[in-house]
Amino acid sequence: MVKYSITRLLQSAVTVLIVATIVFLLMRALPTDYFFTEEEVMKLTEQQKQDRLEAAGLNDPVAQQLLRFYNELLHGDLGKSRRIRVDKPVIEIIQERFPVSMKLGLISLGISLVLGIALGILQVLNKEGPLDHLGMIYTIFVNAVPPLVTYSLVLMFGAKVLDLPSMFSKRNELQSSIMPVVCLSLSSIAHYAMWTRRYMVDELNKDYLRLCRVKGMPTKDIMIKHVLKNAFVPLIAYIPASILFTIGGSLLVERFFGIPGMGPLLVDSIGRYDTPLVQGLVVLYASMSVIGVFLGDVMMTVMDPRIKLTGKGDTR
Amino acid sequence: MASKQDELFRFVEYSPENAERIGYSNYSYWRSVMQNFLKRKSAVFMLFVFVGLVIFSFIALAIGKYDWATLVTNTDLAFHKPDGEYWFGCDNLGRDYWCQVWYSMQTSVKLAALVGGGECVLGIVIGCLWGYVRWLDRPITELYNIINNVPMIIYLTLIALIFRGLSFPVMCITLIAFGWLVMARNVRNLVFMYRDREYNLASRCLGTPISRVLVKNIFPYLISVIVLRLALSIPGTISLETTLSYLGLGLGIETPSLGILLRNARNYFVDYPYLLVFPAVVVALITITFYLLGNAFSDASDPRNHV
Repeated sequence: MVKYSITRLLQSAVTVLIVATIVFLLMRALPTDYFFTEEEVMKLTEQQKQDRLEAAGLNDPVAQQLLRFYNELLHGDLGKSRRIRVDKPVIEIIQERFPVSMKLGLISLGISLVLGIALGILQVLNKEGPLDHLGMIYTIFVNAVPPLVTYSLVLMFGAKVLDLPSMFSKRNELQSSIMPVVCLSLSSIAHYAMWTRRYMVDELNKDYLRLCRVKGMPTKDIMIKHVLKNAFVPLIAYIPASILFTIGGSLLVERFFGIPGMGPLLVDSIGRYDTPLVQGLVVLYASMSVIGVFLGDVMMTVMDPRIKLTGKGDTR
Repeated sequence: MASKQDELFRFVEYSPENAERIGYSNYSYWRSVMQNFLKRKSAVFMLFVFVGLVIFSFIALAIGKYDWATLVTNTDLAFHKPDGEYWFGCDNLGRDYWCQVWYSMQTSVKLAALVGGGECVLGIVIGCLWGYVRWLDRPITELYNIINNVPMIIYLTLIALIFRGLSFPVMCITLIAFGWLVMARNVRNLVFMYRDREYNLASRCLGTPISRVLVKNIFPYLISVIVLRLALSIPGTISLETTLSYLGLGLGIETPSLGILLRNARNYFVDYPYLLVFPAVVVALITITFYLLGNAFSDASDPRNHV
């Protein structure tokens, strides 16, 4: 297990490095105009522009820039932001933005785990009944309708009927967080409900359950001790990944409600050619997703000793 | 007794042709699919709603009093409530909303259909190669991991900025370039599963060409998965388009699309709900009906559900 974890983590590190390199190279394919503000593009002479680029080290051969990037990364140095916040270390910018996204993400994750799994269980208990159909309609709606439309509907309802602020603000954090949290939770509730229902139905069709019934076990006990417990195993593999995913912040929700979180940072920093910041964020996001998958697999083996990761082949 | 036997049985003349006739069931894959599909009344209803909406969008543009191309901003008419002249009212710049809504719906459906089709073709071809040709397994898996490990928004942002905003064809190509992944993986897993089944081994031993094995022996098993994926991918593409356009990384303002409409309306629809309700209802109808339709068709096309 330990040996497996070490190889797996080393592999993950290589993946992160490859991903960072690809994004690094793609960034260099952007026209350098994005390095300057619109005003600067018009006013600066060609020579001045070249000097600026030279000073930032952007005119060096790509290979040399790449080596410098690797070297800094090895020393744990993500560099300094160039455009979003001039000369502020990337780590500090992330530290500033991260808690905002994390708080909203964790709250909505907690809500959606509780509500989603509860909804899934209710649907199974009430299979083919009105509640099951209602849950299904909800799932279909969330899956099919573009999130932007759903968010807009939430916004309209929240602002008009409940009189909530339509933009996020630090001064009124509690009230203005309600709608973003609802938006973040809507789709993940549907997701968890759908998977809980599916795995529980799979489990219900197994032979050992008939034995449980035959020996006279009460339905409630069967549901909780056997079905839910076993259905939880595949479900738990997704949870770490989705924790890391949600605390990373949602681009759309944060843009939509004007939340100063991590989501918009990435797009903005690409748009303004802030290469150190982009690379820092990419390394962060890639590591989070790789670690999430890894933790999910580990948790699955902890929950269900029948699953072994050390064997070859696909573990999921 | 004797008379009853005479009724039931009769002697037949020996005929060499009939002696050589081979019995077969007249099973036809596509006919069974249609039969199974038509049995579900709700699915047929959805089909009518979906097709009806798409056709109506053309009619709506034809009977609308304003043409999208000749819209002019007119601040006097800003936030004009829906009435006999402006059926869906006017937006914040006083432009007719009816033609904008229907036109942007057409843009969405057109984009989704093109991307869905492209994804299908590319995904099936790559998926078949990935599953069937052994030595291609490793390289394609690596390629898949590399694309799949980076949040797609990074690629999309970079492409949008390199091209300085996406035009309709560029957006199509970009979305196809990232959309084939899921389709290819699903197809690959199935091809992998069926390629070494006994009946395929027998087929190969009898000298059936690979293309025929793929098309005749394996493909029918793939159809239901492909259709299911398509049923998800078309609403997914519409969602992605709205998200990207909303973020300013998608289609430019010269192409009316749902994302642009909602972006313009973002600050106003609390006070003027019709700006949200009309596009929201239209897009919800389109995506939900297609989603249900696809699910029903996918069930119907699974040969294991056929009698």
